[in-house]
Amino acid sequence: MAVVSLNAIKRPGSKGHRPPPRFVPDKKMNFRERAIIFVPYVWMILFFLIPFLIIFKISFSVTEIAIPPYSPIITFEEGAMQIILHLENYTNIFTDPDGTYMRSYLKSIQVAAFSTILCLVIGYPIAWALASAKSATRNILFILVIMPSWTSFVVRIYAWMTILKRDGIINDILMTIGVIDTPIQLLQTDLAVYIGIVYCYLPYMVLPLFSALMKVDYSLIEAAQDLGCKPVKTFFQALVPQTKSGIIAGSMLVFIPAIGEYVIPELLGGKDSILIGRILWQEFFNNRDWPLASAVAITMLTVMAIPIIWFFKNQRKGDIR
Amino acid sequence: MNDSISNNASTTVSQGYRNVPGENIYAKQTHLPGERPGQKASPVEQNKKPILEIKGLTKNFSNFTAVNNVDLTIYEGEIFALLGSSGCGKSTLLRMLAGFEHPSDGQIILDGENIVDLPPYKRTLNMMFQSYALFPYMTVRQNIAFGLKQEHLSRDVINERVEKMLKLVHMEEYEDRKPYQLSGGQRQRVALARSLAKEPRLLLLDEPMGALDKKLREQMRLELVDIINSVGVTCLMVTHDQEEAMTMADRIAIMDRGEFVQIGGPREIYENPNCRFSAEFIGSVNMFDCTLTSSNLKHSVISCQDFPLPIELQHDIDIADGMPLSIAMRPEKVYISHEEPKQESNWCSGIVENIAYLGDISIYYVRLPSGRIITATLPNVDRFNVGFPTWDDQVYLSWDPESCIALTF
Repeated sequence: MAVVSLNAIKRPGSKGHRPPPRFVPDKKMNFRERAIIFVPYVWMILFFLIPFLIIFKISFSVTEIAIPPYSPIITFEEGAMQIILHLENYTNIFTDPDGTYMRSYLKSIQVAAFSTILCLVIGYPIAWALASAKSATRNILFILVIMPSWTSFVVRIYAWMTILKRDGIINDILMTIGVIDTPIQLLQTDLAVYIGIVYCYLPYMVLPLFSALMKVDYSLIEAAQDLGCKPVKTFFQALVPQTKSGIIAGSMLVFIPAIGEYVIPELLGGKDSILIGRILWQEFFNNRDWPLASAVAITMLTVMAIPIIWFFKNQRKGDIR
Repeated sequence: MNDSISNNASTTVSQGYRNVPGENIYAKQTHLPGERPGQKASPVEQNKKPILEIKGLTKNFSNFTAVNNVDLTIYEGEIFALLGSSGCGKSTLLRMLAGFEHPSDGQIILDGENIVDLPPYKRTLNMMFQSYALFPYMTVRQNIAFGLKQEHLSRDVINERVEKMLKLVHMEEYEDRKPYQLSGGQRQRVALARSLAKEPRLLLLDEPMGALDKKLREQMRLELVDIINSVGVTCLMVTHDQEEAMTMADRIAIMDRGEFVQIGGPREIYENPNCRFSAEFIGSVNMFDCTLTSSNLKHSVISCQDFPLPIELQHDIDIADGMPLSIAMRPEKVYISHEEPKQESNWCSGIVENIAYLGDISIYYVRLPSGRIITATLPNVDRFNVGFPTWDDQVYLSWDPESCIALTF
């Protein structure tokens, strides 16, 4: 009896095999459905695509003392239409003798990547605590995580300035208990920038991690232990793969805004921590070099697009279940 | 034993519609308790080599006791089932064995070593989870190899062992599939292979058929037993499904409120329940509140207000005369007849109130003059049920003295 039915199951292509689920619209959409989809499209076209194209266009012109302060790329002269695309803004970025732009790009990526890792390391235990708490406790913890963002962003950064400055709280305490004799420089260092970014972006890491951890199948963790995994290995073999989507989403939510962050490095960072956000500001408002600023922005967008594309590719590959 | 057979033969209850005349009653006597017909004797009878000993195991949660001072010995090579309804503590007991719960008190001795304080990853036993707990991000092969990789074995050894396991569960063709690409039965086999790959001393099965539908369940039971027997691993399973326990296990422990009610082979538990709970838990049963009239070495007379005639048994009952007791009667051991039996005891009359036709058998609900309803089953050996009792028939119910189980608890 067992043998006969076994063959029935083993036949390849029988009902046991089911292709991974994929979203395929199986019918033509009617007008209402199209209309609903249309709204976000309009939004994206009006507020993302068109501004992007304008910036893209500006990046191919040169500065002029005029209003607007850049040269038109399309000109008509004696009945001939000329399209002049200046590429020097882009080449300038890469061939700048001081390497300012490249340095600030790398610095931005470094700061954003480091902050993301810090957020992940700090955020994971917080998300775990949230996910494993009883529902009453969880609500309180949840509010504690989210509440800081109810205050203005700039106000919170200013608060950190008073904490970190030479006669700030940290230096006061350290001097009082006698750990240090003279105040240490905290403000206007990279450390301060990291503190600021991690502090501000932590909730964006915690929330996706939390929702991923809520869906964790605990029997997989027990199975890993049962099969001989020590706690650390269990974490990496059974918990991390299950929360991969949360880790990626949280990392994106921290990394992408952190790379273009302007306020935090401006207020907390030192003179040497010139991130790409500050470069943009300077080119736009101090030098009034809109074309170069646009080129910097477009390049930054390209830099950020890489992890996003990687993220979506990854998500499609690893569609669990 | 011989006495009861000859006595039984003399008690003629012919005319009735017997399941298979006489035969099954004699067959019962030729098997030892805990043995299944056509199968090897339970390891308990063969070589009493204990592999797992549980001593005074207790688990208290904040507001209740899940497992209460339980003792159990499991012998090498047997399949043992913990059977109980949900919340009886069977899962907690299993989780304590696996190391996911720490007992409040007691010892778990596996191969002579107390493993109570060992973490799960140091225990030489493996568990097959109810949900199978296959890693969804790993292929079948990776899932099976997972436990072996934790032992830091060489790649060749792992591959060889995985091949062996794939072959054992007939999943060679599926080694590169992910769990979501498998059917329920296939997933179960992968889960089994994964838990057997490490060659555990003891295999724990948590509701092994819980995630399968009924048809597949019946088929997988025997297949699972075949695989387990071919590996020769000792096996402890937890189930709420008595059919599953009876088909798969050599011995069964019935659990209720954190304690064992009865431990024994499937036949022993069904035919010789030691208390009302296990009689009522396994199968269906007619239970009567009775009073012992008299009892001597080979003869006991019992009166029951539901029956005008006494119930007579051919053994003694170890309580004082006049004390209450329960008589349990399995429905398939109650004979239905249109003709009035001639003996002085062990029968009564009634009216067929209802018939449940199940295809293979029919269940007759017979109302006694006292108002009490007795269930009796008849196999539908005749396609057209010629001459069988029908609704509102006056029928006579009779039973062999051996069929009555006297219960004093």
